[in-house]
Amino acid sequence: MASPATQQESTEMSNRNRHLSWLWSEYSVIIAFVVIFVLASLLNPRFLDVNNQLNILMQVSIIGIVALGMTIVMLSGGIDLSVGSVLALVGVVSILSLNATGSILLAILTAFIVGAFAGLLNGLMVAKGRIASFIATLGMMAGARSIALYIADGGSISGEVSSFTVIANSELWIIDYPIIIFLVMTGLVYVLMQKTRFGRYVYAIGSNEKAALLSTIRVDRVKIGVYSLAGLLVSIAAIIETSRLNSISSSSSGQAYELDAIAAVIIGGTRMTGGRGKVLGTFFGVLILGILNNMMNLMNVSPHLQGFVKGLIIIVAVVFQKRE
Amino acid sequence: MSSNYVLEMENIDKSFNRVSVLKQAGIRLEKGEIHALLGENGAGKSTLMNILGGIFPADKGTIRVNGEQVEIVDPRTSQQLGISFIHQELNVVADLKVYENLFLGMERRNRFGLLKVEEMCRKTNEVLAELGVKIDPKAYVRQLDASYKQLIEIARALLQDSKIIIMDEPTTALTEHEVYRLFSLMKNLKAAKVSIIYISHKLKEIQEICDRYTVLRDGKVVGSGRMADQNLDAITKLMVGRSVSEERFIQQHEPGRKMLSVTGLTSPGLFRDINFTLHSGEILGFTGLAGDGRTELFESIFGFKKKPFGSIEVEGRSASINHPVQALQAGIGFVPKDRKENAIIKDLSVYHNMSISALSHFEQFGFLQPNLEKSRFHHFKETLNIKVHDPRVTIDKLSGGNQQKVVLAKWLEVDTPILVFDNPTQGIDIGAKREIYQMIVRLAEQGKAIIILSSEAPEILKVCHTIHVMYQGEITAKLKRDQATEDEIMKYATGSKREVEHIG
Repeated sequence: MASPATQQESTEMSNRNRHLSWLWSEYSVIIAFVVIFVLASLLNPRFLDVNNQLNILMQVSIIGIVALGMTIVMLSGGIDLSVGSVLALVGVVSILSLNATGSILLAILTAFIVGAFAGLLNGLMVAKGRIASFIATLGMMAGARSIALYIADGGSISGEVSSFTVIANSELWIIDYPIIIFLVMTGLVYVLMQKTRFGRYVYAIGSNEKAALLSTIRVDRVKIGVYSLAGLLVSIAAIIETSRLNSISSSSSGQAYELDAIAAVIIGGTRMTGGRGKVLGTFFGVLILGILNNMMNLMNVSPHLQGFVKGLIIIVAVVFQKRE
Repeated sequence: MSSNYVLEMENIDKSFNRVSVLKQAGIRLEKGEIHALLGENGAGKSTLMNILGGIFPADKGTIRVNGEQVEIVDPRTSQQLGISFIHQELNVVADLKVYENLFLGMERRNRFGLLKVEEMCRKTNEVLAELGVKIDPKAYVRQLDASYKQLIEIARALLQDSKIIIMDEPTTALTEHEVYRLFSLMKNLKAAKVSIIYISHKLKEIQEICDRYTVLRDGKVVGSGRMADQNLDAITKLMVGRSVSEERFIQQHEPGRKMLSVTGLTSPGLFRDINFTLHSGEILGFTGLAGDGRTELFESIFGFKKKPFGSIEVEGRSASINHPVQALQAGIGFVPKDRKENAIIKDLSVYHNMSISALSHFEQFGFLQPNLEKSRFHHFKETLNIKVHDPRVTIDKLSGGNQQKVVLAKWLEVDTPILVFDNPTQGIDIGAKREIYQMIVRLAEQGKAIIILSSEAPEILKVCHTIHVMYQGEITAKLKRDQATEDEIMKYATGSKREVEHIG
């Protein structure tokens, strides 16, 4: 038998071990972020330059906002493949509205309505129609893109109100508006998911839908809310994307955004089947993807190879997270 | 000289995160015996069996199979030593056929690599015949009863020529006659010199089927011997370390006002013409065999299943319930059966599982207040005696009994005047069972109206004022507590007897 002293020591040790493993399971993505950040700054001195840092944030802000919505959807146990197409459709329709009314406010409002409506349809199909989210949003992905192409006749359309570009091309001190919007949205979604009833319900549904229903949660309504909210976040991203160049391409805008968003969510540690994950994880997942892109650009890696590195990182991230 | 034990596990130590789970534990298994491994939840039964099954290694100790010392490093070595583990949750693939399940992972192939279907079917028939049953090898497993699924697992064990079979609570999912079938099967196995380690909480069954027993408590062996030399009370005492008497829990009471009355409730294919009335302070029991429709009845009343025909009145007001939240608003709470699938949300913490159905109690200005949740949980922790070191851990880290108490806490927080418990003591140990009964009785004394659904007649007899027996979707008897006996209940539950008078 161990003496009291060594026993105490051993419980302390086990506490520390438990603490470490807890730290790892909760914050592995932040640790990974720090490692990649340090590596990047060692590999290239230009990386740490403030302008470069802001550039990274600027580049990830659109995908970042989309990924926030994706996080909510995936936490609820679903997936939304339609984000890229809906982004293009929202962009096209809001430019039409902008040009027709000349009002930026109305353009933004139109964007919100179209995005939220597409999300609402997704939600209705999933919750009421009992269609698997993968299928329902795959349909929306094809449908929304097609309508965008039809409206814009396959090409790009440009805004005729030049002040619309203010949204994406202004700075507060040295920080661009899209970055600020991304940070604010991250904060809002974080609060929504951690501090409100809605967030708690989303986690519960993603973890055990049947038990959630038997716990008297309005599962259908929450799900509809989840997809609508994701659509709304997509419309915010669409406004930024459109405002950047005051134009949107019906064919190429938003292309493969769903993959980048899902990648960021997965790297951030959210479980594919839902119920587990964090908004902050997604935030750092987005940053990791941004840093990787940036590094490869700085080091002149062929753009054709960048997808390979991204794919590798996703798989490595998931392999590490498996160890719980 | 070698011993006549097929299996000896000695001085097994095991700890997780430096918390000792097994201390000098062990078991000795004779050839061709059925050996009960007993103990409360958390006593270390599963840990000991997982070591035997190769799920994880022991820290210390020796294992001998047929007198030879062995090292079990993974499930495969365990299997090669002739040990089969039949888990509580049935490991069969419902979408495959019977023979495909039997040969899963060890399919017979010809030299071109193609499956020898006919040979496998023939062999399946042989093995099943050995077990005394006839099932079409090409039937899909999803179409079979639960007991037949168990049978497939046992047949698999035989096919692998297993000499030691571990059964972990095999009867939880079975109806009474399925249990008999399983028992006669186990006797056949015994005659064929197969040894069985049988883990169960149901002492009656154990007395009926087992030859010897080993009792674990807190990771130590506290007793073992021949079943015939011991009575159940003594064994129970060994398990819990104190005596649990068989007293009934409830007192006579004066029924209060009418809380719930159900008339002519019918849902096609599930139940027919259900009538009953529930008063405050009353505990109603519903019992019957599997497939009697009692779970479906109350899931329908709770709004989880399709809305039934007929009328439901809560406190004299007619209630229209299409969704569980409307049941809650009407004043009905429901603690479902199969805790893991229906009641706990395993990724949420203990705190959050407690608060999930009553989040408005924990909100201020639209935001959830962790401090309110914490203090409320500590209240329940005291009153329900929930054992949890750190309530921030996810609920699946708790033992079954403690999980159930958290689920109860969730419904107590909602505080509905009517509470329905479906199989509230499923898979939890005797100590926790007793606490849950006591708590239910205390709730009734405080004026709640309570309904308990259970397939275990002794449980129902212990706590209910009135017992409704169901058979194939109909109430066949309504028995006062003092008239009811287990035999009487059985007669109504099997449909061999029914009350003529209309119950209302």
